[in-house]
Amino acid sequence: MRRSHVVALLCLVALLIYPVINPWQPYPQGVMLMMFLLAIQATSWNIISGYAGYISLGHSMFLGLGSYTAAIIALHTGVNPLWVAPLGGVTAVIVAVLAGAVVLRTRGHAFVIITIALLLSAQIVATNWDSLTNGSDGITLELPFWSADFQNIPFYYAFLLLLVLTVLFSAWIARTKFGTGLVAIREDEGKAAAIGVNTTVLKILAYAASSFFIGVAGGVYAYYQTFLNPVGSFAILGSVLIVLAALVGGRGTLYGPVIGAFIVSLVNEGATVYGGNSQTRVLIMGLILVLVVLFLPAGLLPSLSAAWRRRHPVEVSFTDQVGALSHNTAVVRSRLPVSSDRPGPLLEVRGVSKRFGGLVAVDGADLVVERGSITALIGPNGSGKTTLFNLITGAMPLDSGTITFNGKRIEKLPPWTRGHLGLGRTFQVTRLFKDMTVLQNVVAPQPDGKLRTMLADAVSGAEAARARDLLDVVGLGALAQQKAGSLSYGQQKLVELAQVLMLAPELVLLDEPAGGVNPSLLGRLTEVIRELNRDGVTFLVVEHNIPLVLSLCDPVNVFARGKCISSGPPARIREDPLVLDAYLGDDWRADAHA
Amino acid sequence: MAQFVQAVVLGVLIGGIYALMASGLTLIFGVLRIVNIAQGAFLILVATFTWWLWRTTGIDPILSAVITAPLMFGLGWVLYRFVVRRISGQAASMSVLLTFGIALVIEGFLNVVAGNKFRSATPAYFEQSFRVGDILLPKAQVYGFLAAVVVLGGLYLLLTRTWAGRAIRATSQNPSAAALVGIGATATAALAFALGSASAGVGGSILSVLYPFFPASHYDWISRLLGIVVLGGMGSLPGALVGALVLGLAETLTATYGSLQWSTLVFYLVIMAVLLVRPQGLFGARLREDVA
Repeated sequence: MRRSHVVALLCLVALLIYPVINPWQPYPQGVMLMMFLLAIQATSWNIISGYAGYISLGHSMFLGLGSYTAAIIALHTGVNPLWVAPLGGVTAVIVAVLAGAVVLRTRGHAFVIITIALLLSAQIVATNWDSLTNGSDGITLELPFWSADFQNIPFYYAFLLLLVLTVLFSAWIARTKFGTGLVAIREDEGKAAAIGVNTTVLKILAYAASSFFIGVAGGVYAYYQTFLNPVGSFAILGSVLIVLAALVGGRGTLYGPVIGAFIVSLVNEGATVYGGNSQTRVLIMGLILVLVVLFLPAGLLPSLSAAWRRRHPVEVSFTDQVGALSHNTAVVRSRLPVSSDRPGPLLEVRGVSKRFGGLVAVDGADLVVERGSITALIGPNGSGKTTLFNLITGAMPLDSGTITFNGKRIEKLPPWTRGHLGLGRTFQVTRLFKDMTVLQNVVAPQPDGKLRTMLADAVSGAEAARARDLLDVVGLGALAQQKAGSLSYGQQKLVELAQVLMLAPELVLLDEPAGGVNPSLLGRLTEVIRELNRDGVTFLVVEHNIPLVLSLCDPVNVFARGKCISSGPPARIREDPLVLDAYLGDDWRADAHA
Repeated sequence: MAQFVQAVVLGVLIGGIYALMASGLTLIFGVLRIVNIAQGAFLILVATFTWWLWRTTGIDPILSAVITAPLMFGLGWVLYRFVVRRISGQAASMSVLLTFGIALVIEGFLNVVAGNKFRSATPAYFEQSFRVGDILLPKAQVYGFLAAVVVLGGLYLLLTRTWAGRAIRATSQNPSAAALVGIGATATAALAFALGSASAGVGGSILSVLYPFFPASHYDWISRLLGIVVLGGMGSLPGALVGALVLGLAETLTATYGSLQWSTLVFYLVIMAVLLVRPQGLFGARLREDVA
């Protein structure tokens, strides 16, 4: 068991026995109870804003929604709010899914903006929907049903239980392929989509997951307070504390938000007791937020563990060339798709065009990739090769034309669905997830869109074993636990190849695979490509290393000015005057004829 | 019918003022790729200052934009050089958190210095109106609208007719190419941030007459401004203009035919509806992302 888990368990035991050994102290119990509540919220916030990187500035809305759900049900049916608190979580999830489905389809900033708007909207609705919420007068609930002798101890344990559940939930998410997918989205959303991660669904699920336990806690909190009104329930200061807690502790980590929440609630309590009114609290919290962003952006926990690593460095490992050269590729073969014997080419591009403003990057291009071939795509810089790759994989939408893959029209499908159909790619400039370990990078791809795959364990079990095997194939097994960003460029290229193979693709698009890879490893790379090809994987390769292309590929397609000007076996391409013209221009021909 | 025309005219007047307020936000986003959450707090800061100036010296609140705009230009420049610039190159989410923190600091500062209460500048024309046929045009709204048009026109000329403006537009389209042709990235960014803040200077002075405010009002304002920018498309000035008009009309029409309390909510619903059809906003362009 890892050291951090042992420490966490000891802290939990201490918190569990605290009310028993010190039972007649309502004040510290009240303070600690608020610490738990903030920790529940910060840990939940961390799922969407820490793992997936989409900042929510209105997360306290879910606490208010949970409170109102439980209170309204209690008011109208007479049931104790405590028993219907889980329904608060349900309301929170419903609102999160509805809002998420609208704003999370795009990348970028719309989300953060909508989260503020949602919080304010919730306040408006709660204030004005008198018949349901009792308007700005608020709702008063009955007092706790237990004897006053127990004070708030039942609430203390209720919040502690919820906190434990939230942390376990967050830890479970981090272990699954769902969790690695979220981190992939944070690091590079376009790349995540290219390796089969359904970014839209994952983001919506993450937003929903980050709302549930807050909603449940909201129901309990309403009962604890016995009174709620719109201004108090949907206060933006609550959201500030959540953001601050996660940031101070270290967002994206498991225990960081909990530690941060304990610190921030103590500071908040201190500011309330000694600093006067809630107005000065805003100033103090704002200053802390600015200072943390400027001077401790990673948060306490990651900064401390980075300092620890600096004092206890790990020896640098080099690419295991001997291992890479001797390892057999049986493991790669084991999960390859059963190549379908459908007639016709595997990939057929017909009349595809793409304009960027006035620039026509791809101009009515045609391209055919036969099943089982290693097809090359060469051409001068700016001839539209990479843009064509982006159109085929769906990284950008095309203006006109059709793309057929395995007999199925794919030009309208999102990138991840194309990945699930068996289309994988590598990038010209490697796009690994730099803050993830090498192993996490290789387990990140999602070969299909099934929920079962998404919730499968990523860091251990079958997926991880397969990823390790793939890493051995490319000779990087020893580096599995290193951050991908610390690898050399050539090593990153190899990791990216292993990553694509994890998708079990039928067609692999390689964008300049040889760039930056040393000659002996390049030999290994071409050997891997050939072996995979023998087992039924088709390749489409963009490459400037012409000797490599001519020895590895057949047929070769030549691109110039956005369309295919020539294609055929390498021997013929070498002699084609059109090709020489495209590469070297008119000057060369004039000279040659002179 | 007259009621409808009245609502539409009022909506346009208010829309023009919203456009001015949102222009700074979209300018800063266009050049720096930073969502400046503090823009609403800038407005309230200036409104409070304008109110104080009006109370102590009697200077007309809308005219005092001549003073507040340069002051905010300076504040924006200083903030960029010494605070915001420190996080350039980090993840976009950090800039959201930083400007959110700045907004809180301003709110807390106003709470401590000016106290947590509602204010509104009420010059002599505060409750007077121009009358055109059956339609009443409140003087404050008209003056505010005219000031907004003048400033937006000036901003347009600055961006299209001067070297500084061309530098800003070049940087917003392609920062690295702009740097290659000799445009200083830091100086341009500082200028854009300062200009964006200065527009909040004018906007805040107008706000002090038109809307009652207190330190925490900035949440309300920033979510309106962000709504405008999201609706129009992030970083697009024409988009901000259209988004502002839609908000102005949505507010006056709901207030006329429904009730005032729900008007902001109607606007958020409009945004949601637009985002369902066009996730990138009305004027948002999708450019190639593969060439960084």
